[in-house]
Amino acid sequence: MGVTRFRSPEEMNANLGLPVRKGGVERFLRHCARYWRLAPRIYPRGVFKFRSLEEAQRARQQISRENAQRTRRRCAEPE
Amino acid sequence: MDRDEIVSVLKALEEEGVQYVLIGAAAMGFHGLVRATEALDLLIHPTAENVEGLKRAFRRAWDNDPNVEAISAADLLGEYPAVRYYPPSGDLYFDVLTRLGEMASFATVESELKEVDGVPVRVATPLALYRLKKGTVRPLHQHDAEMLRHAFNVGEE
Repeated sequence: MGVTRFRSPEEMNANLGLPVRKGGVERFLRHCARYWRLAPRIYPRGVFKFRSLEEAQRARQQISRENAQRTRRRCAEPE
Repeated sequence: MDRDEIVSVLKALEEEGVQYVLIGAAAMGFHGLVRATEALDLLIHPTAENVEGLKRAFRRAWDNDPNVEAISAADLLGEYPAVRYYPPSGDLYFDVLTRLGEMASFATVESELKEVDGVPVRVATPLALYRLKKGTVRPLHQHDAEMLRHAFNVGEE
């Protein structure tokens, strides 16, 4: 699809010209798999219940923060 | 949860006759707009029978995981319209929803059938996803709404 140039990061972020292509679900699954390899997640296991979407969102953010910190520590370790 | 696990749970949902609509980033993926996510969001028809079907599907997909028993129709139809299930393995979890605030419910979200590996998957339409996402405060969802609007020409309302 060639090269698109932007005059600023803001212009780049505002660009929504993503192509809608066939095989979306296969690309979605591959994309998630790459993402999980780059930033492995550790989750609690089991069932958690929430009174509202906001409550569910807060719990999700907490787990995401913990995973992000774990990934940062892992990346900071010398090989 | 790898690709095969995802397909196997979608197959189990189909075989158990669960009435659901896939919403969220996975649904966008089915429409060709791809971004990573950690959750598969299932908006389900809020009946006790359907919740039992969902539990059977999860048990089937994860070898009778005993945690599934903690999912209850009394919760989902009552005080807890959002239940998160982390399967015993993998990198993806399920958000099971019976209501989306005042915004929408299973009965009001338009959907269409898609397919993966021959398994039918009921997915919210681009317009339905746009409506769900544009009303939220999360910046990521606002961005999703913009992508949907741009890609599918679903208009301002």
